[in-house]
Amino acid sequence: MWFYLGEISIWLFLIIMAILEFAPISWILSTSLRNPSDSYKLPPDFWPTAFHWQNYLAVINSPQINFLLFFWNSLKIASLVTIAQLITCSMAGFSFARLRYPGRDVIFFVFLSSLMVPATVIMIPTFILIRMVGLLDSHWALILPATTSAFGVFLLRQAFMGIPAELTDAAKIDGASYWRTYWQIALPLVGPALSALAIFTFLGSWNNFLGPVLYLRSWDNYTFPIAIVMLNGYMGTGNRAHVLAGVMISIFPVLLFFLLAQRFVIRGIAVTGLKG
Amino acid sequence: MTTVVNPHQASATVERRRISRWRTNRFQEVLSGYIFITPAFVSLFIFLVAPILAAFVLIFMRYDVLSPPTWIGTQNLSQIVSDARLRDVYWNTFRFVVFATLFNNVLGLLLAMGVNRAMPSIVKYLLRTALFFPVLTTTASLALVWNFLLTQDRGVVNYLLQQIGLAPVPWLSSSTWAMVSVVMFDVWRACGFLMVIYLAGLQAIPEVLYEAASIDGANQFQRMRYITLPLISPTAFFAIIISLIGAAQVFDNVWVLTGGGPGDATRIIVLYIYEIGFKRFEMGYAAAVSLTLFVILIALTLFQFRLSRRWVHYD
Repeated sequence: MWFYLGEISIWLFLIIMAILEFAPISWILSTSLRNPSDSYKLPPDFWPTAFHWQNYLAVINSPQINFLLFFWNSLKIASLVTIAQLITCSMAGFSFARLRYPGRDVIFFVFLSSLMVPATVIMIPTFILIRMVGLLDSHWALILPATTSAFGVFLLRQAFMGIPAELTDAAKIDGASYWRTYWQIALPLVGPALSALAIFTFLGSWNNFLGPVLYLRSWDNYTFPIAIVMLNGYMGTGNRAHVLAGVMISIFPVLLFFLLAQRFVIRGIAVTGLKG
Repeated sequence: MTTVVNPHQASATVERRRISRWRTNRFQEVLSGYIFITPAFVSLFIFLVAPILAAFVLIFMRYDVLSPPTWIGTQNLSQIVSDARLRDVYWNTFRFVVFATLFNNVLGLLLAMGVNRAMPSIVKYLLRTALFFPVLTTTASLALVWNFLLTQDRGVVNYLLQQIGLAPVPWLSSSTWAMVSVVMFDVWRACGFLMVIYLAGLQAIPEVLYEAASIDGANQFQRMRYITLPLISPTAFFAIIISLIGAAQVFDNVWVLTGGGPGDATRIIVLYIYEIGFKRFEMGYAAAVSLTLFVILIALTLFQFRLSRRWVHYD
């Protein structure tokens, strides 16, 4: 009796939470498909009742707001940042884990302690720096400061520490250069850590909001998140269906990615979470 | 003629060769080490170490970005003490951080324990997708959506409340409720993330322990109290630290949802630093305020580590 009561309440809790978490998302989808003149109409829909795909076309083809350009901007920045971090973090992580040189531990300590520094502290000086070198309103202002991450270095160091020393030693005895050992022996063995880092770097950059608010000034340079918030102000209150269609377009790639790679993402969090 | 090789001499040659080869190898290793570290280190230095050092200089300056900075001594620091708004802002930040961290972790742990049970894989897949989805989506867009949902007059949430016979709530326009809304949104958005972290911790607990406890006659509550909670404590410690530090630095949630308002009711620290720096153009004071956050976060983390000896069990 008590057992069933416990089971029922656990399931009830899970189902209610799942509904609460997902209902707003399905509300976005349903409302984005409504006729724009109905977008304020109550009762709300939590599953699509109308199918005004024109809203999506209107957002994409809107003459003032170049949505595809925002998409491209976000994609470009996120990809460059991800590639840069994969390179710099894995190289540094390899050297911390597998090479011995004077000053290594001091440098590693610098990396570790910088994990503690909140981004807010460096916001003001970084802004001044970016402004001084004339990178305001340029995508480089978002890419360059994100070319490495202490967290990523730490994550990959731990991953490289985990592969057997015999493998890298054998490569050394066979006369492989350190670069070759890194590139052909060690790197292929830390795939999970690399993909976890790639996923989170990409998502972090794709969803970054404060950076674009600080650095970007002109419409043509905007990334997705800031463009959507501006879209709301721009289109005013009359066109909620269009704004929500914009939100849906920004959600869609992430949704697709997550549905396909759910296990990967969750394992990524587990890997990074436990080692971080 | 016979050349007699002195065996002693020969081994010395071999030894010398070995040393010189070792030197070359060693040299290569050191050189590669530095080359490998260079890209990350240069980037870290320019965009992290240098800005931190600059921040410590900046707090003694008045700098409005347009005219050159002037040295004003400790004026910014005394302004921190006398700034009444800063006190309100920290009080808001404190309430936000405490409630967001509390609810995120409690719900995250409960959800993880709920999901971490035998169930058909399709149900598990759907549950995880629904619970985790807001984590992956752009916070700014979601905050915009919640802004629509929470509107007082034609908002969806109030409509649903009225359907079940409750009075509409001024979610975003009353200063008490605005803070509730901001916390609610953060918990809605982030508890799925904590769920995944706790799930990883739960799955690392060996099944044998539960079996042994069952054989010894422990009931469900006892198994949770004496096995799950102690063994999840390292995970909980990590999760609480990262959610505290994350919550203290929230920006986009509040910026989009309430803009810090009504009045200053939901103005939390990062929004205030943004206002000082980029609306009032007092870069020196903004840097000084952000350093107070830094100091508080460090102190809080150290305090957590000290406290953790009492409740975190490592093996």
